[in-house]
Amino acid sequence: MDYSLSEQQEMLKKSARDFLSSESPKSLVRQMATDEKGFPPQLYNKMADLGWLGLNFPEKHGGTDASFLDLAVLLEEMGRACLPGPFFASSVISGMTIMELGSESQKQELLPKIASGQTIVTLAITEPESGYNPDKLKTNAVADKTEYLITGTKILVPYAHIANYCICTAKTSAGIALFLIDGSSSGIKLTPLKTIISDKQFEAVFNKVKVPKKSLLGKEGKVQAQLQQIMLKAAVAKCAEMVGGAQQVLEMTVDYVKERKQFGVPVGSFQAIQHHCANMLIDIDTSRFLTYQAAWKISEGLPFAKDASIAKAWVSDAYKRVTKLGHQCIGGVSLIEDHDMPLFSKGAKAAELTFGDADYHRELVAQELGL
Amino acid sequence: MNFGFTQEEENIRKEVRAFFQKEATPELVKEIAENTGATGSGIGRKLVQKMGAKGWLCPTWPKEYGGLDSSETISFIIRDEMAYAGGPVSLVGATMAGPSILKFASEEMKREYLPRIARGEIEMILGYTEPQAGSDLAALEIRAEDKGDYFLINGQKMFNTHAHFAEYHWLGARTDTSAPKHKGISLIIVDMKSPGITVRPMTSIAGGKTNEVFYDNVKVPKKNVVGEVNRGFYYIMTALDFERMFPFGGVRRILDELVRYTSTTKREGKLLSKDPVIRQKIAEIAIEVEAAYTLYYQQAYMLDKGQIPNYQSSMQKVFSSEAAFRAFDVATAIMGPRGQLQRSSKWAPIDGEAELHYRWAIIEDIYGGTSEIQRNIIALRGLGLPAR
Repeated sequence: MDYSLSEQQEMLKKSARDFLSSESPKSLVRQMATDEKGFPPQLYNKMADLGWLGLNFPEKHGGTDASFLDLAVLLEEMGRACLPGPFFASSVISGMTIMELGSESQKQELLPKIASGQTIVTLAITEPESGYNPDKLKTNAVADKTEYLITGTKILVPYAHIANYCICTAKTSAGIALFLIDGSSSGIKLTPLKTIISDKQFEAVFNKVKVPKKSLLGKEGKVQAQLQQIMLKAAVAKCAEMVGGAQQVLEMTVDYVKERKQFGVPVGSFQAIQHHCANMLIDIDTSRFLTYQAAWKISEGLPFAKDASIAKAWVSDAYKRVTKLGHQCIGGVSLIEDHDMPLFSKGAKAAELTFGDADYHRELVAQELGL
Repeated sequence: MNFGFTQEEENIRKEVRAFFQKEATPELVKEIAENTGATGSGIGRKLVQKMGAKGWLCPTWPKEYGGLDSSETISFIIRDEMAYAGGPVSLVGATMAGPSILKFASEEMKREYLPRIARGEIEMILGYTEPQAGSDLAALEIRAEDKGDYFLINGQKMFNTHAHFAEYHWLGARTDTSAPKHKGISLIIVDMKSPGITVRPMTSIAGGKTNEVFYDNVKVPKKNVVGEVNRGFYYIMTALDFERMFPFGGVRRILDELVRYTSTTKREGKLLSKDPVIRQKIAEIAIEVEAAYTLYYQQAYMLDKGQIPNYQSSMQKVFSSEAAFRAFDVATAIMGPRGQLQRSSKWAPIDGEAELHYRWAIIEDIYGGTSEIQRNIIALRGLGLPAR
């Protein structure tokens, strides 16, 4: 048993923290909420230079061969910084999907470009009437000789406005399939959605979008199990971000309650506040350990489905509790948009609902228990 | 990072599990429960002696004191399996007083007590709480007066579990009345056969025994002081950190039992396990079990690295005891009206195990330092918040 990061992971953590605190301060994060792109491209380029955009891609595909655990360390720091941008959509989920399902030529074509930041790929899974269960999706793909025609409505597609490609789930006559759709194809209509964290999320309506057959990712009708695994890994990656956010909320809260005086004493000397802070620490440490336990299993190639759902169910609720208590301890000033707290409390809600909330994952845990 | 167990650790877990499958008879489990998780003097004592013979009571101790020189992780695994089986997890000598003796006492005292503890021959009693000294332990008043070559002890202790059968009192007593209250306490080992000691048992909400202990001019040799005189409060604080390492096997067991029970029990024609609300509730127990284990083994990891868990023990104690309460609360509720039926009653599901542990769990949020005291420790020691 080893609860510590390796020396290399500690270095990655430290350099990520230093870089993000200078390059992505909270003022920039707030500014990006109204920015058209939603992130500064020069920051994304610097991340490419650091090797982050292809962190766990194979070296031969422009990556650095890092483990999923290393990726979790980086994501924790990004969550702490509330880093805006398409990193999660492009480098984490889309990259993972291509690594797991893509043909060698698709990997060769796309992974190096994702790693260099030249290409941005997003993922279109959620539909108005279905969440993360691919069984229920309605978007369909009709095949003719050389191509498919894709029709349907996807929602909450991140950074679709700048994505060069969109990985899209659809039903074909053979079952569920994944398509790599060129973002410039005709028949795609994007409508921006207003989200709780003002990040760039879109409705993407596909109206008989023509997709060549070679754009299939994986085998038609055979990807469902792998897709489920990818969604679970994405959930664990999301947990890592959430843990970083929660840790930052606690540090911010503790710093504040040590200084803030009421009735002539620091409010942090009141037992009610102390117990709130203690509860935050318990939630954060359990969240971190459960997240890293799942990430470790993924890294080691061990079965991880139960651990992933345990982590996402727990962290979804815990992060919300932490941000709620952060507001409660800091009080009035934390309610103003200029304060950092709202970035995290709203972020906790958004993250909870991404890749399955606690109820969704508890049901998966129940299945894993054999119920 | 590594959240796996080594082959050696997996092997010992299997061995301990097999041992308890054979040894944890209904009679044993009943006796342990009636003694509030302690061995008692009957079959439980024989069981710990069998464990002692294998070195499982104090595996981390040096071989010369009866241990196996093992890692803490192994010791945590053994205790977890023991808790799962309903064995005597409340081992004061082996897991609370013993480690403190090893850390603070003289060589002579180590040789006198440790090997006998490790063999399961003697058990100790935590003698901390008094009627007016609960969470504020430093307020304890029982007086140990220096009479030259012995201490003369007068006063009263309360909620001293094990006192109705164990051999030695691990007694916190006031040796200096003029010093600040936490600087005038010594830790003294008292032979319970000493003239002047009266034990009055009380029965707890979980049906187990705990006791009041009265001292009336009890003479105790001065060599029975652990470590230095008047340093007792610090030793007790350390011993409490050992005590807070809360084995969680009992909750893991109710989870397994609930999966079995709901998968085989129908209500209104439908299997309980197919009810979506019940599925959510059982999954939540499974999640909290996993969370509790991450805190449990964090302590083993720290100890194996030579660090002493501090607020981490408080985190584990408060999280685990509260999660245990939630688990048994949910378990009894899933059973419906029959959830109130007790062990050996007709119609009691899982032989009343959930009902019994529901009562136990109420106790566990209080003893060994209440949940509120644990949160104070986390806030003050863990987060550096200002004391008032």
